[in-house]
Amino acid sequence: MAKVKVATDWLAACAGCHMSLLDMDGRLVEILDKIELTSSPITDLKHPPVQGVDVGILTGAINNSTNLAVARMMRKRCKCLVALGDCAVFGGIAAMRNSFDIRDALARAYEDSESTVDGHIPKSEEIAKPIKAKAVERLVKVELNVPGCPPSPDAIYFVLKELVEGRMPILKDELLKYD
Amino acid sequence: MALMVNITLNGQSIQVPLGSTVLEAAEHAGIHIPTLCHHPALVNLGACRMCTVEIEGERALQPSCTYPVREGMIIKTETPRVFNLRKFVLEMLFSERNHYCMFCEMSGDCELQTLAYQHGLAHWTYPTPNPRLHVDGTRKYFLMDHNRCILCRRCIRACSDIVANHTLGVKYRGSKTMISADMGVPFGDSSCISCGTCLQVCPTGALVDRKSAYMGRHTDTQTVNSQCSFCSVGCSSQIIKRSGRVLRVEGDWEGSNEGVLCHLGRFDPFYETRDRVLSPMIRKGDSLIAVEWDEALDCIADKIKETGHEKAKAWITGKTLHEAMESFVNVFEKKIGMPVGALESTLLDLNLPSNGTLSDIDKSDCILIIGADPLLRHLVLGYRVKRARNHGAKVILVGGDGKEGIGRYAHMKFEFGNLDDALKICMDSDMPMVLYGEGLGITNAEKVKVLESRAKFMGLFPATNGYHARELGLQDGVKRDHAKLMYVLLEDLELREETVQTLKKAEFVVSHSSYLGAVSEFANVILPVPLWYEREGTFVNCEGNEIKVTAAMNKPETVLSEVEVFDRLALRF
Repeated sequence: MAKVKVATDWLAACAGCHMSLLDMDGRLVEILDKIELTSSPITDLKHPPVQGVDVGILTGAINNSTNLAVARMMRKRCKCLVALGDCAVFGGIAAMRNSFDIRDALARAYEDSESTVDGHIPKSEEIAKPIKAKAVERLVKVELNVPGCPPSPDAIYFVLKELVEGRMPILKDELLKYD
Repeated sequence: MALMVNITLNGQSIQVPLGSTVLEAAEHAGIHIPTLCHHPALVNLGACRMCTVEIEGERALQPSCTYPVREGMIIKTETPRVFNLRKFVLEMLFSERNHYCMFCEMSGDCELQTLAYQHGLAHWTYPTPNPRLHVDGTRKYFLMDHNRCILCRRCIRACSDIVANHTLGVKYRGSKTMISADMGVPFGDSSCISCGTCLQVCPTGALVDRKSAYMGRHTDTQTVNSQCSFCSVGCSSQIIKRSGRVLRVEGDWEGSNEGVLCHLGRFDPFYETRDRVLSPMIRKGDSLIAVEWDEALDCIADKIKETGHEKAKAWITGKTLHEAMESFVNVFEKKIGMPVGALESTLLDLNLPSNGTLSDIDKSDCILIIGADPLLRHLVLGYRVKRARNHGAKVILVGGDGKEGIGRYAHMKFEFGNLDDALKICMDSDMPMVLYGEGLGITNAEKVKVLESRAKFMGLFPATNGYHARELGLQDGVKRDHAKLMYVLLEDLELREETVQTLKKAEFVVSHSSYLGAVSEFANVILPVPLWYEREGTFVNCEGNEIKVTAAMNKPETVLSEVEVFDRLALRF
């Protein structure tokens, strides 16, 4: 049986969800018998292959124009898109910013912070443009949401195992946790 | 015996008392129905629709918490239709305000979160517009974050139905509805009395205790069942602690206080600013020097012998627990032969019974308050009086200016001179209750005795264990003269200025107390004493019930229990 191709990427995230993925420890080796991790932010190849993958995993909220482009690319190149972690599922920590005006938030970060001297908000065309932080499913279609801050290694293992066996995972009890 | 009706619950035929709700019937049959706005101590309202069930013949699903059973009713609590509606209710709640768990203080203990898990809410179906609502931090002890509020109205019901304070209500309508205090003033400016009952019933992170916020959730903490020893009401409480630190105190729903505490027992102990006495100290020259217990006790014993026991006196606060109080009398009066007295009135000279209970207040139709103000130091008892008043009881106040405290709730106020008129009204009512205090005076107490055959009496002892101090025959020693040598057991009491002045006249003063205060300014010897959460023992509350105080923490090694101190002192005589 051919291995299931899996790609991951992160958006506005703290990397904690990927840490939790690595936290599967020995089970990571076991699951790698059945899946091929084509690309991820923590391997050499960063982008999902053009030929596409079976499962795409996104962590983090969509917080700026680059996040949106990354999410759209992943959506295009995978059959089943998984939003992993509270930020990807609900908007998470990045969504705290939504109660403020984006300009105010930028000014606070680049101009008004206690350690800043003569600061200015970067204006280069090349850098991503901030947008209102949103859950992944608000902007691209998502097949499966796995909440948690981060989701436990048990939950990630369960999700991958179910997907490998062709079932859509249903999270409950200890595996379904926010925060 | 109650009339019973036959109903069918999930196919099971059961009999339940007429008048129960469907929710109560289900509990009776061991069937769990998820609830959110329901709280066992509160009157049901049907605000959240979590507990909906299918009732045959009804057009729509019905909230089980408010729906009464009737003969032949067929109820289903677990159909897909019911489950889907409950899940829909949760989805709507999550879409309304800020319910991001990862930055909420309550995450882990939140009832909304738990229900979401139980209903498999892996994401939010509806958009979350998240209006930015304000956080009201105007109150000293706890915050109100409207962003986390689900409008279940538990706080409102606790405030009005249990505590009878009626501060809370709602303003605006529909999705704009907000919990408000006194028609919309900041909570800190409102009539809120900071009893904290709303904080205790809030199912989400909308109400947050300032001192224990983010200090650990239920699974991280330990709970010690104890009783509050800050006044003679003796409320059942739970001390919540973690890693050698007491975090907060909560009311025990099982106690006669019905879960209610007041700020004196719930919050104030955590705002203590006085310096603690941690070891015995002796005044040498101008400074206090920390010494070993033996040196301090030798010094005291020598001084008593030198002064002569008849010229020395020992006073004790009624805050002291039984064991220490008895040991105090045994050692100072019986063994050493010093006169002993209490620092507060023990109501002994009034010679009136104290045989009423908190639930007698609920039942009473006429409450006579005389020479006391329950809203001053016996707050939970005061709330009961207000609640009884809500239910129709007449409140009569004799003495006191009536402007503050319970006076604002009195239907009638009398001067002591017109006591007979007040007593006549009590004689004419069905179940009078007399709450008396130190302001009564012996002459008036004689008059009040006419009610002895008809009324229940309750003494509002100024100190926690005043009831037992009275049993031991201790009299208010402060009214009597000073002596050459004074030994005072203060616990955590801050003495009134006049008492401090009396003590100042003595040549040698021993202060046995948990904190440094006015007396330690001039005391010759200072001895430490365990704190409220380090004490173990009993006291008798104003109902005459034996109240057991459990230590939540070990006392520091340098602090000895009062009994141990007295035993070691006795060996020197």
